Amino acid sequence: MAEHVSETDVRGIAEYARIGLTAEEVVTMTADLNAIIDSLAPITEYDLEGVEPTFHPIGDLVNVMREDVEVPGFTQAVALENAPKQEDGSFLIPSILGEGGDR
Amino acid sequence: MKTLEEVFETWEAVIGLEIHAELTTLNTKMFCGCKLEFGAEPNTHTCPVCLGLPGALPVPNRAAIESIVLAGLATNCDIEKHSMFYRKNYMYPDMAKNFQTTQGPIAFCMRGHLELDVDGPAAKERYQLDKLAPGEASGNITRTEDGYVAHVGITRIHMEEDAGKMVHIGGGEGRIAGAKESLVDYNRAGTPLIELVTEPDLRTPEEARLFMQKLRQIYLAIGISDCSMEEGSLRCDGNVSLRRRGTTAFGTKTELKNMNSFKNLHDGLAYEICRQAQVLEEGGVIYQETRHWDPSAKRTIVMRVKETADDYRLFPEPDLAPYDLSDEFIERVRAKLPELPDQKAARYGATFGLSAYDARHLVDNRATADFFDECMALVAAEADGSKFAKPLANLIINDVTAYLNAKPEVELSATPLTPARAVELIRLVAGESISSKQAKQVFAAILEEDKDPEAIVEEKGMKQVSDTGAIEAVVDEVLAANPDKVAQYRDGKTGLMGFFVGQCMKAMRGQGNPKVINDLLASKLA
Amino acid sequence: MTTPFGCMGIAQIKAGLAAKEFSAAEVAKGTFARIAAVDETVHSFLETTEQMAAEAAARVDAAIAEGTFGEMGLLAGVPVAFKDNMNLLGTRTTCSSRMLENYVSPYTATCVENCLQAGCLPIGKLNMDEFAFGSSTETSAFGPTRNPWDLERVPGGSSGGSAAAVAAGLVCATLGSDTGGSIRQPGAFCGVVGVKPTYGTVSRYGVVAFGSSLDQVGPFARSVEDAALMMNVLAGRDPLDCTSQPCSADFTAVLAEGVRGMRIGVVPEFMEAEGLTAEVREGVAAAVEQLRQLGAEIVEVDLPHARAAMSAYYVLGPCEAFSNLARFDSVRYGYCDPGHTDLGSQYEASRAVGFGAEAKRRIMLGSYLLSAGVYDKYYYPAQQVRTLITQDYKRAYEQVDCILSPVAPRTAFKFGEIGDPTEMYLSDMFTISINIAGNGGMSVPVGLGSQTNLPVGVQLISPWFKDANMLQVAAALETVYGKAPVAPAFAEGGEA
Repeated sequence: MAEHVSETDVRGIAEYARIGLTAEEVVTMTADLNAIIDSLAPITEYDLEGVEPTFHPIGDLVNVMREDVEVPGFTQAVALENAPKQEDGSFLIPSILGEGGDR
Repeated sequence: MKTLEEVFETWEAVIGLEIHAELTTLNTKMFCGCKLEFGAEPNTHTCPVCLGLPGALPVPNRAAIESIVLAGLATNCDIEKHSMFYRKNYMYPDMAKNFQTTQGPIAFCMRGHLELDVDGPAAKERYQLDKLAPGEASGNITRTEDGYVAHVGITRIHMEEDAGKMVHIGGGEGRIAGAKESLVDYNRAGTPLIELVTEPDLRTPEEARLFMQKLRQIYLAIGISDCSMEEGSLRCDGNVSLRRRGTTAFGTKTELKNMNSFKNLHDGLAYEICRQAQVLEEGGVIYQETRHWDPSAKRTIVMRVKETADDYRLFPEPDLAPYDLSDEFIERVRAKLPELPDQKAARYGATFGLSAYDARHLVDNRATADFFDECMALVAAEADGSKFAKPLANLIINDVTAYLNAKPEVELSATPLTPARAVELIRLVAGESISSKQAKQVFAAILEEDKDPEAIVEEKGMKQVSDTGAIEAVVDEVLAANPDKVAQYRDGKTGLMGFFVGQCMKAMRGQGNPKVINDLLASKLA
Repeated sequence: MTTPFGCMGIAQIKAGLAAKEFSAAEVAKGTFARIAAVDETVHSFLETTEQMAAEAAARVDAAIAEGTFGEMGLLAGVPVAFKDNMNLLGTRTTCSSRMLENYVSPYTATCVENCLQAGCLPIGKLNMDEFAFGSSTETSAFGPTRNPWDLERVPGGSSGGSAAAVAAGLVCATLGSDTGGSIRQPGAFCGVVGVKPTYGTVSRYGVVAFGSSLDQVGPFARSVEDAALMMNVLAGRDPLDCTSQPCSADFTAVLAEGVRGMRIGVVPEFMEAEGLTAEVREGVAAAVEQLRQLGAEIVEVDLPHARAAMSAYYVLGPCEAFSNLARFDSVRYGYCDPGHTDLGSQYEASRAVGFGAEAKRRIMLGSYLLSAGVYDKYYYPAQQVRTLITQDYKRAYEQVDCILSPVAPRTAFKFGEIGDPTEMYLSDMFTISINIAGNGGMSVPVGLGSQTNLPVGVQLISPWFKDANMLQVAAALETVYGKAPVAPAFAEGGEA
């Protein structure tokens, strides 16, 4: 089995995906991912020169849009109904200092 | 730190802008039917789509696509018929789906440009402009009589959605630093947003400011956004780097945020240019980082260091069909293009003989341009109607603009100054019924008392006296009362003319025609 | 003892209601009673909706009383249950994940709404693999569903609850979703009819997304006619789903037409595939022979790129899943790990606890595959391979009206029998290419395997938006093999 990703890579991927992994999980995840990535080899074995990608299945569907017309949405209470934490009509979250993103 | 002028002796600044505009004039959000409204109670304009609930799917707003195509046409962009939406994946709590729906390598609008007129004090920031003769070109600029024209490339304008809003509590003044917790409101989430990216063609903070102003004029003219920098519906980030004069390789750039007014845009960029110059001259290095302009401290501070290029895992949005815009769609949008500020200014020059300066300042603001057009329409039928253009332009550029600047909350169309009254005021001055000095009083009175100019002139007894006989009597009186000054004048102290005019005016309680007074005095003192 | 309502078909229930042999309220009550008595062993339901069903039943009974029953929808008075990734206002929509254990839907999915509009009695929400990641329903955070044919075995997945509930005779129709085989494979394992329509036939709005370009909703039933009726209810353009298309049709119209003159394709490469068990191969070959005898022309077709479908799928599915599951972040809904003073650690802990192992694997894989540099190596080629696979099918359909293949390489396996994720992924080897290309596919039972005595299914694959073709072939097979039976242990006279 080839090493496509190292444990360090896996820690980096987990950080980006915001999934906390224990040290043991990193080990098994690394093995699992490498096995799966190994199995992806067939798609790298074709000559794909000049083949257009199919990003959208059932290809000729284009320009699907709606009119600029208001549709009633949620009340504040419904919007917040599933919120783990809320305050003053808003979703409450702990400090976000140091979070990534292009802000 | 050196001044900008000193820095420019050694360094050339390379500036590119990223300008976001919310399409506030639409009814609903980008991908759902929720109402667009600024300042509503938090989380009262949401639905499964803009809250990012599991299972929700986006459907694009046709009017938003029309708006961005309109913006592209107004900024000389090529409209790309084939483009798609992409997902830009990163987790941030104001983004309900934790990906932003935006566009990929091909945006709806590509390869545009604007021509920027830079003159007056703004032109002075350009290094060694005086080395160019009028009409001479260098790089992307061409020298004009009183400044230059800069050709600024637009890389692209793409369609995306805005994020929600956060209020940070526990820190100072709602700032993120020091905050213990934050409140998230998704009313703004999903607001249609267009992002314009310029080529790195700007060289001075003034050019950046003027570009932003010009773009704002265009967006207002085509009616796609209210362009409020204060409310954040028009936002600008700047990318700045320096390179030594004479070199071509780009330096490391920093990205500047929070420039939420034209002044902040200029001052933030100017500070950042000087800061970078200092760092470089002291042998330091510029880090690729995001910096925040703090207008009260007048400096930029680091927000985030970008150690590696951001990897947003961009991929085509499978939930949205791709675009294949028809010629018919594009032409239907093109038909909605109004006269743009540049075209309007050109028309003012060609039709009314206004100077480029006057024309440009008239079109600076859509309200004043509309006002001017309405005034000119009133006199269009008159044989010499176009003679009103110059005095009207002066009135609008000076008095009206000063009034509006002093009262930013007031809409010109809601003031007592109607086009008819403005024309009447000009007519009174042109007919020498009142002096230009009196005209200023009448102008103020129109706005304060909501009355017609003639009525004001009548009430205040302001009618200008132009009758030569009446004036001659006063002139004779003044000369007779001041024999010593008359002697001094005749000995060559011609500066006393002002004194004589003043005395005559005083005697006539300000209503004498200054031109007649001047002429009479000159002939009698000769 | 009279036949339990769950063991009846749609027509039988509607006829009984129309003839006033029983009321809709009795149908609802009887259905819940049977679920309470039987489902403890099967564990197909995660939640039952007695109140909603009672309200729907009252409307049906009122219509019967007023003599307007005939004007009601196709499913008036018919119990229907939904996979738990489908939002139904006021119910919990958990996707069998701890992440959504307490999430109550504030809106209803279009596919569910269509059933409600058709007058169905909503019975509840059905167990599944967590977020539909799996082929056995073992990854459900709330315990696996058991195969009604053999409680030691899995029902398949991810729509295992939806298939098992029908096989156990708890309801006559359920909805499932299929991203790589999640309707067809459990359909085969549980011996029921399972339809994955052409991508775009049924709205995905309100169905928690796994792979947005692959997911499709479809019905389970014990007869082709009931499945076709469900398709009539479900199919059609939804303005809330940009990828849905106008494709309403009467899918029952062609069921009686037979297959005489139809050209049916078989793929030699599939029939000779490594891992395909002898009993499944025999069962499928027998079905082909039956169709030949019914007058169909059997044509060998070539799908040269289908062998890359599995790889393409394990690129595209995880990439889309990674992005689709990013929204589960403990802010607006879902599991929120307590006690964190910064959002970063709240994110990481909530997602660590909220997601199961398979969900984490897919998210991680997707995040890796989309990262800079890797995207060009796997994601982009996978989309190009998708083009090739799609062209393969298009070419094949120039020769045939429908393609026939195995559904799964084997019959239902035992719990814990397959532990290795890549081995588990092989369960979908015959179904995945259909999701990649977007065609319609369905599984229809063709008797029991000679070795395991468990249900064997064949897969029928339609050209784009010609889903009626496969239903027509399935109906012909049904004339030979009979309607799908309720699993023996749960049938009338059975122990349950």
